[in-house]
Amino acid sequence: MIAAYGLSKFFPIRGAFRSTTSLKAVDDVGLKIQNEQVVGLVGESGSGKSTVGRCLIRLLKPTEGEILFDIPDSELVEYEKARAEDATKRVDAIADRFSLLRRSSSELRSLRRLANIVFQDPYSSLNPRMRLADIITEPMLSTRFCTRAEAEIRARELLREVGLPEFFEDRYPHELSGGQRQRVAIARAISTNPKLLILDEPTSALDVSVQAQILNLLRGLQEKYGISMLLITHNIAVVAYLAEYVYVMYAGKIMEWGEKGKVLRDPQHPYTKALMSSVPVIGETMTRTILRGDPPNLVSPPIACRFHPRCPVAFEVCGWSAEEVAEDLEYLLAGKYYEGFGDAVSVIAEGERTITIQGTTDAERIRELVGLENEEVRSLKSVEAIDVSDGSTVVRLHEPVEPEMYPAPDGRQVKCLLFRPDVSPPTGNA
Amino acid sequence: MSDALAIRDLQVHFHTRRGLYKALNGVNLGLRRGEVLGIAGESGCGKTTLGLAVMSLLPRNASIPGGKVIFDKKDLVNLPREYSERVGDRFNPKENERVLRRVGKAMTRIRGRRISMVFQEPMTSLNPVLPIGFQVAEAIYVHDPALLARRVLSRSKATPALLKELMALLVATHGDEASLRKFAAEHGLAGIEEQALFIWNRGDIHISRKEKAIRALSGAPVNRAELKIIEVVARTGSIPPQYARVPVLSRIVRRVLIKEGYRKARELLTSLGIHHAERVVKMYPHELSGGMRQRVVIAIALANNPEIVIMDEPTSAVDVTVQAQILELVKRIRTSVSASFIVISHDLAVLAEVCDRIAIMYAGRVVEVAPTDQILQKPLHPYTQLLISAIPTLEAKPVEGIKGDVPDMRAVPVGCAFHPRCPFAFEKCHEIIPIDLPHGNDQLVACWLYEAK
Amino acid sequence: MATVLEHKARFDELKLSARVFFANKTAVAGLVIFLVFMGDALIVQIAPGVLGVTYPNDVIPPQFTQTNPECDNMPPEPPSLSHPFGTFEYGQQGIGCLDLLQLVMKAIRIDIAIAFFIVLVGAAIGTLLGVVSGYVGKWLDEVLMRVTDVFFSVPFLILALAVGYVIGRTLFNMALALIIIWWPLYARYGRSLTLTTKEATFIESARASGSGRLKIMFRHLLPNVLPPILVQISLDVGTVILIFSTLAFIGFLPSNVLVPELGAIANFGLDLAPLGFWWTVVVPGGVITSFALAVNLMGDGLRDVIDPRRRS
Repeated sequence: MIAAYGLSKFFPIRGAFRSTTSLKAVDDVGLKIQNEQVVGLVGESGSGKSTVGRCLIRLLKPTEGEILFDIPDSELVEYEKARAEDATKRVDAIADRFSLLRRSSSELRSLRRLANIVFQDPYSSLNPRMRLADIITEPMLSTRFCTRAEAEIRARELLREVGLPEFFEDRYPHELSGGQRQRVAIARAISTNPKLLILDEPTSALDVSVQAQILNLLRGLQEKYGISMLLITHNIAVVAYLAEYVYVMYAGKIMEWGEKGKVLRDPQHPYTKALMSSVPVIGETMTRTILRGDPPNLVSPPIACRFHPRCPVAFEVCGWSAEEVAEDLEYLLAGKYYEGFGDAVSVIAEGERTITIQGTTDAERIRELVGLENEEVRSLKSVEAIDVSDGSTVVRLHEPVEPEMYPAPDGRQVKCLLFRPDVSPPTGNA
Repeated sequence: MSDALAIRDLQVHFHTRRGLYKALNGVNLGLRRGEVLGIAGESGCGKTTLGLAVMSLLPRNASIPGGKVIFDKKDLVNLPREYSERVGDRFNPKENERVLRRVGKAMTRIRGRRISMVFQEPMTSLNPVLPIGFQVAEAIYVHDPALLARRVLSRSKATPALLKELMALLVATHGDEASLRKFAAEHGLAGIEEQALFIWNRGDIHISRKEKAIRALSGAPVNRAELKIIEVVARTGSIPPQYARVPVLSRIVRRVLIKEGYRKARELLTSLGIHHAERVVKMYPHELSGGMRQRVVIAIALANNPEIVIMDEPTSAVDVTVQAQILELVKRIRTSVSASFIVISHDLAVLAEVCDRIAIMYAGRVVEVAPTDQILQKPLHPYTQLLISAIPTLEAKPVEGIKGDVPDMRAVPVGCAFHPRCPFAFEKCHEIIPIDLPHGNDQLVACWLYEAK
Repeated sequence: MATVLEHKARFDELKLSARVFFANKTAVAGLVIFLVFMGDALIVQIAPGVLGVTYPNDVIPPQFTQTNPECDNMPPEPPSLSHPFGTFEYGQQGIGCLDLLQLVMKAIRIDIAIAFFIVLVGAAIGTLLGVVSGYVGKWLDEVLMRVTDVFFSVPFLILALAVGYVIGRTLFNMALALIIIWWPLYARYGRSLTLTTKEATFIESARASGSGRLKIMFRHLLPNVLPPILVQISLDVGTVILIFSTLAFIGFLPSNVLVPELGAIANFGLDLAPLGFWWTVVVPGGVITSFALAVNLMGDGLRDVIDPRRRS
């Protein structure tokens, strides 16, 4: 139905002097939704999931990447083959026919019949000055789906379809409760018989009992009309209820994706594992993996794997920078290992891969200390060699590797170097 | 053992232009000493109003037609209640404001000191133009300047020799608090205990570093005039009036004490799991992440060793991984701190993690309260049952909504407020408000289904 | 699912609005005064005879000098029973004993008409430009911002006088000058309202539903931007009256043109007042002031009605 490749969206940050930094909200995301399939996109705030949704429906223009829409399977296979072989002409030919990004604005207008979106906040997603009937008929009229008279009849049917009485058509949004408004938003979204529905946190602003009603409504509509859905949410239980496939996002990248049951019950990516263990479940006290720290700054995100600063099993090549290691090293030398080193040492990061520890030449002791602490302080795993030179100790770090989507044995894909097929299991260091 | 807090039949009405909202309609709840009590409910059930009523933070258009909030044998809401009873229908928000101001004055000794509150949005509870350290320090300075004064004094009296002895004592007794206290009392160093123990208990620095730090506790640079005033503060608990009126002196003393407050803030923040507290203390709220801010707000709430801490939706504004951090934190502090906690949340799973008992509210009344395991596994009240069955789980079990809508609080249904939506309602439910009926083990349920026949 | 309360919801909103407005005592006072003035304007427009007004568009009725020869060079008379506001004399023309009350009643109508004309036209132009610029953004927005900056940097009285001297000093041109001064305010205001409103998700929904930019601006943005604009209009009517009567007062209109306009009347009164005929200035000035005050008080009440927080 819809396939995205290498989708990126960078928001330029307007600094004081027109700097060229940008917020990398979405970075190299690949996503596929088949016909009549429900896919969940899970992530915390700042993960970029809402931005992905908006790009897929062309509310935002992606900075890079490709989105193919309403493309038959055979053509998609052809496309991927051509991409793998770098056959640019064939790639172009297929993209010309199916790419969402090459459509003119008039073509886009009729394409809007095929996809729509439901937003999170029922209080701002309906124009407070429009009657419900007008709200629901808008997509039908703007995309010239049918005549005005037909649209009005259909609006009444839709109200019934979502469980609201027909006489509500003359009401205004402020007369409705949150759950009712969300139903209206859903009615509007399905009014043109779309094939794809993006749902951006559809129930996060609702009470639990109302959420249950909306979830059942969505499920019913999906089964009845066979609409593909992208369900964007931070609530994993909601995804479990509706979706078949799950994509997990963190800091603008997809960390893992696969069949819902497998990903949720048996997460493989360290982030997914931590995420699943953080969700409080009634009736279960689980052993938690508590993540330290906070989601990263997306203007200058961590190198290589974006999760590495918080990852409990990060190892040498995950993307440690000299700064990160220097900070941890300094903390240890000034605290726990103060006795051996005293106040004379200072730890300085030089460049990306080198650290100079001035005031000591006891490389042996430092090697020992690193070996002792690197299970707790994962950044130390990236230490490749410790030598003495010019009266100070010089620490060199491993070269980081950018993780890609690696296939796992059960069919899912994980973006973690632990799953790199040609990597031997992580060893000790230095 | 009496309850830390007892709420009896509390009623709160909001007088608005759109009508009279009956936010609380007879809430009965007891908070036991040392427990963590959860209050759950959907929007409009009154749980936030309850928290505000306990803290006497209600807006001026709120009247209290009846009920009591008993803390330390005193009724916290007697003034507004008496006013409401007196004027009945002729409620006037302006006059009420005067009453509330009197209540406010009476509450200054209690709010922030004996009962403190953590609000939902950490960004708005923290002053964006003041550093974190200042806000924590101020919380202590306002309520307990004597504590800060004692700390300063103890450091000014601590000679290096004494501190060396103290260090030896800590090593010998492995940081035993009692002997430390004795030592401090014997040598006139009262106030140094918590500072020394904080350094001693840090797990991340080497013992030689600790020794250095303890030795660094000596000789705070305080001049004679300040010293005298600080001594008085330490003794009496407030700046003596004759000095308070001299602007320069009082300002200097305040500065010294707030600076001391910064030091204590560092200790507090570190104990709550904030790394690099020395740096954090100088930062501003917008420089911290949501989770850190929430920890800071909790630190301020705990700064004066309150007896009761009320947390209103402490994890609603944060991500699920940060929520996990906060919940672990709450579980940790409840064992180390002697306060009782009330946690208000719409998320039952969050409450299930940290609470001993959970109370479910609906339409301004408590409909059920029981120990956590019991209420989640064997909910008695139909609303609780329906609520739990509406929560989606990872196993994707079917969820059921509750038919109908939450009632308009201007027209609460007669009898049991839930009866229009209840699948088990019968005649009595339409007429008489259910009372709290004991059931099973330590469970109270307000539902006629459980009336003993 | 609809409860009884929902059925009455919309009607209640109006009653609530009325209740909010009438709770504000000063706003009600303003409304009363405003209605008195409007009443006068309407009656003079439709049936001037009712109030005893003749020739509503002229200060001096035609053939006045012939029919009232005794009024030649007659000095103004103080307020009395027969002339509640006193009488007026146009010294240059040498025509006196003109009833000031009648004059004022004619002038009110003219003043109100002009004020509404200025504000409505200025608001229409400004809001439209502001909404389009705010939504479309980019270079159009920049251009508009700079243009309004220019207008704001010039003191408005000077600008008005300058415009007047260029296109001619008539009453209509004075109104035009003020429109030119007034529209940038609405452009700015409309733009800032648009900037906030366009972030609402119902705008994104409209885009996702295929609505074009024009439809979004007129069907979604404008109706939501209008209520605060209307309040602003009601407030501005008072300010505008003050401004253009000031203009007339300082002599924008050439002294041989006689119009029933409060500021113009006061301008002539300036010559008379130092001679002891204080009512010739105080009366028209007082009338302008009370109208402006009334409109402001009313606008305050309207602001209460619109602001959702004050409504509760």
